[in-house]
Amino acid sequence: MKAINFAKRNIKELIRDPLSIIFAIILPLFLLVIFQQFKIPSDVYKIENFTPGIIIFSFSFITLFTATLVANDRNSSLLTRLFSSPMKPMDYIFGYTLAVLPIVILQSILFYTVALFFGLSFSVNIILSIIVAIPISILFIALGIIIGTITTAKASSGVGSIIVQLVAFTSGMYFSSDMIGKTFNSICKILPFSRVLDLVKGVLNSDYTNVISNVIISTTYIIMVTIIAIILFKNKMNSDNK
Amino acid sequence: MISIEIKELTKKYKNKIAVDNLNLELNQGELFSLLGVNGAGKSTTIKMLTCLVTPTNGDAILNNYSIIKNKNEVKNIVNVSPQETAIAPNLTVKENLEFIAGVYEIKNKKDKVSELLKEFKLNEVEKQKAKTLSGGWQRRLSIAMALINDPKILFLDEPTLGLDVIARKELWNIIESLKIKTTIILTTHYMEEAEILSDRIGIMAMGKLIDVGTSQELIKKAKARNFEDAFIKIVTGGDINESN
Ligand SMILES: Nc1ncnc2c1ncn2[C@@H]1O[C@H](COP(=O)(O)OP(=O)(O)O)[C@@H](O)[C@H]1O
Ligand SMILES: [Mg+2]
Repeated sequence: MKAINFAKRNIKELIRDPLSIIFAIILPLFLLVIFQQFKIPSDVYKIENFTPGIIIFSFSFITLFTATLVANDRNSSLLTRLFSSPMKPMDYIFGYTLAVLPIVILQSILFYTVALFFGLSFSVNIILSIIVAIPISILFIALGIIIGTITTAKASSGVGSIIVQLVAFTSGMYFSSDMIGKTFNSICKILPFSRVLDLVKGVLNSDYTNVISNVIISTTYIIMVTIIAIILFKNKMNSDNK
Repeated sequence: MISIEIKELTKKYKNKIAVDNLNLELNQGELFSLLGVNGAGKSTTIKMLTCLVTPTNGDAILNNYSIIKNKNEVKNIVNVSPQETAIAPNLTVKENLEFIAGVYEIKNKKDKVSELLKEFKLNEVEKQKAKTLSGGWQRRLSIAMALINDPKILFLDEPTLGLDVIARKELWNIIESLKIKTTIILTTHYMEEAEILSDRIGIMAMGKLIDVGTSQELIKKAKARNFEDAFIKIVTGGDINESN
């Protein structure tokens, strides 16, 4: 209940300062539309491959603005006040996550709707892939909490944009990672971004190559990153560790 | 009944002792003022007592709960109005109170919120976003939020900073009405405020609690004409001449 109360406040805080949300929706949407105009003769730009790419890319903006939200909160004395209240670390993590999830769902629905206009054929797979995308978004929200917890309000957006770049270059949304070279390819396989994109893409297109390793690596990342977020945040609840 | 028992409470930072071996007992319903120049250690004391900062040494027992061993219990029975105004900027005044009521899981939330709106004369601005209020009004809201859980022990860190004369008087009345039910520790730079409100006053300097007593006792002890002079004498050890 404390988490929901906190989430409500976070939603209000986000909606009333909507610039970052608009950015997180408009920019990926723009890319989705623009790349369909280019008619690039590569499989990655086919609408059924590129739309999942855009969804994962839009999640990196979720990291960005979750980081800003948390860093701004830490900067304000409101959070200091809450740290002397009975709220537990988990209440904060859930509160931030629950507040951001509606935006995640909105993004995915919006991008698929637009993709339908560009020739994506409607199937139940679209809904399934949105359902798969939701737990994946937790990874990006938790990354945002971590960045917001360890950086200042000013630095958070800079550090957050590293995630945006990593997703762009290592997820395979713009180009397949084995085009670049062996080392780069293995880095991409160790990082979670190509794994989560392959999962969403796979569900949409009923293509289940490497699904086991993708699920294992993605899940491990989601759990690990969330645990790290909780530990780091808990640590910051003591004013000595500011 | 003893409400607060502070035992050898100490906070060391790298090369600085912020609070040095504080010992103090407060009775239930007592209002205690902590005075001292900037950097004396008042806020750090409050931060330790509200579980925000871990003491380097010592402990404090608040209504039978230790700030080291029973943090959760302590957090439920105390509340604090921090030195910096602590409000959610994009929420309205009323939403701020509702939010903090949710944090403490207050049962009769509606009643409590409207009671506080009325008591702090916040009704006229209840629909205004907190960030658009003037400093004094934000301060009032911040203090009102500290009363949401009817705390057994209330910490007010420089509560009247930035308030105009009238708002200050009004807040004094509210604080007066809380006494008896609530044990209060407040810090202030206004001697008059400490004199009028407190049962006892403690004076801190360089992390140490150097003197404790009623305002009359402190005046007598320092052989001063009034409380302000007594404070100056005690803090400076009599180095600064009385102002005639
Ligand atoms: N986190 C901190 N790290 C290092 N020194 C600190 C920290 N917090 C407070 N201090 C120091 O401890 C002393 C007491 O500070 P504080 O309790 O804020 O004083 P007051 O509230 O009486 O003005 C000051 O010298 C301050 O600089
Ligand atoms: Mg202070």
